[in-house]
Amino acid sequence: MILKRTEFIARVNIDEHTLETWLSEQWLMPLREEEGEAFTEADVARAKLIQDLALDFGVNEPGIDLALHLLDQLHGARTGLSLAKLRK
Amino acid sequence: MRNPYEILGVTKSASADEIRSAYRKLAKKLHPDLNPGDKKAEEKFKEVSQANELLSDNEKRAKFDAGLIDASGNEKPQQQQRDFYRNYAGANAGARGANPNYESASAFSDFGGMDDVLAEMFARQAEARRNVRGGDLNYRLTVSFLDAVNGANQRLTLPDGSTIDVKIPAGINDGQTIRLKGKGEPSRGKGGAGDALVTISVQPHRFFTRNGNDLVLDLPVSIKEAALGGAVKVPTTTGSVMLNIPASSNSGTQMRLKGKGVAGRGDLLVKLRIVLPRRADQQLNELLKNWIPDAGDDPRAEMLP
Repeated sequence: MILKRTEFIARVNIDEHTLETWLSEQWLMPLREEEGEAFTEADVARAKLIQDLALDFGVNEPGIDLALHLLDQLHGARTGLSLAKLRK
Repeated sequence: MRNPYEILGVTKSASADEIRSAYRKLAKKLHPDLNPGDKKAEEKFKEVSQANELLSDNEKRAKFDAGLIDASGNEKPQQQQRDFYRNYAGANAGARGANPNYESASAFSDFGGMDDVLAEMFARQAEARRNVRGGDLNYRLTVSFLDAVNGANQRLTLPDGSTIDVKIPAGINDGQTIRLKGKGEPSRGKGGAGDALVTISVQPHRFFTRNGNDLVLDLPVSIKEAALGGAVKVPTTTGSVMLNIPASSNSGTQMRLKGKGVAGRGDLLVKLRIVLPRRADQQLNELLKNWIPDAGDDPRAEMLP
């Protein structure tokens, strides 16, 4: 299901300002379509992760930035490894 | 449901800080998104986060300590099935709803020699993912009985206000699905759009019913038409035709109009039903009063014990 900006805000339960921050920090990088952003389930799950980090773990903004950066590398590496495994 | 204090490994007298810190230690190891390779983490994480939800809320914790609510929280419904980010990343990045913008290949860009191979595969994989065909979308469309029998063109209005023209083929059945190629979700790359799947529901008709490719019609006839026979007008799905009723036709007599069924493939079965005049008819009543039926003709003869 593709979500528009307003639908995404409602689904994740954040305000416009928070979304703007997350977008400008590039924590969220939604796909773009002619009519604007097109959020997917991956973006919803990622937003929930950001909320967990901020609320449950008490991580501040620079910490979240770092955690997401490392996590994206981790997933990239996992993809690389699973591809290498497939090739073998 | 285990005791939430046990789950978090704290004592009953633990302070809010102790609980928070115990939860963070456990959650760090169990949060599925912080441990993408641990498949068993999710169940345990659910338990731990539920225990935390209970104990980090002073009011709930007090109620639990007093035995007013159980360890599952209270009357509040179980937390919803949660979708974690890891389900869309790494090996799952091909999942529907995934977003290829996030993953980065930089973690192995220094693997001398190996990086070329991996980086290239990575790039190819990402490209392939972007070019996956868009998803199929499901719709429902209700059509009238006659449109289903004869075929029609209908316009389907989508939630976003756009429309799709749907050609209903003659003879479509209730519950059948029409596939409209390329009318589903667009691809994120060059994969082409998915299809729209339109499930058809057919409304019932006032007097026609369907039996495979045959149509069944209950046709009211007057006493005079039934007794003396003659031509009567019969509706079909494509206009009226004249039907010759033989003399002395009884209620329930079935007559077959060849080729007047569904889309010319079946027949129209006409079942006669004798009806009295709508208003009591003086003339008919007089006639019947003077009529002496054949003594041997008892319509209920076969019902007698």
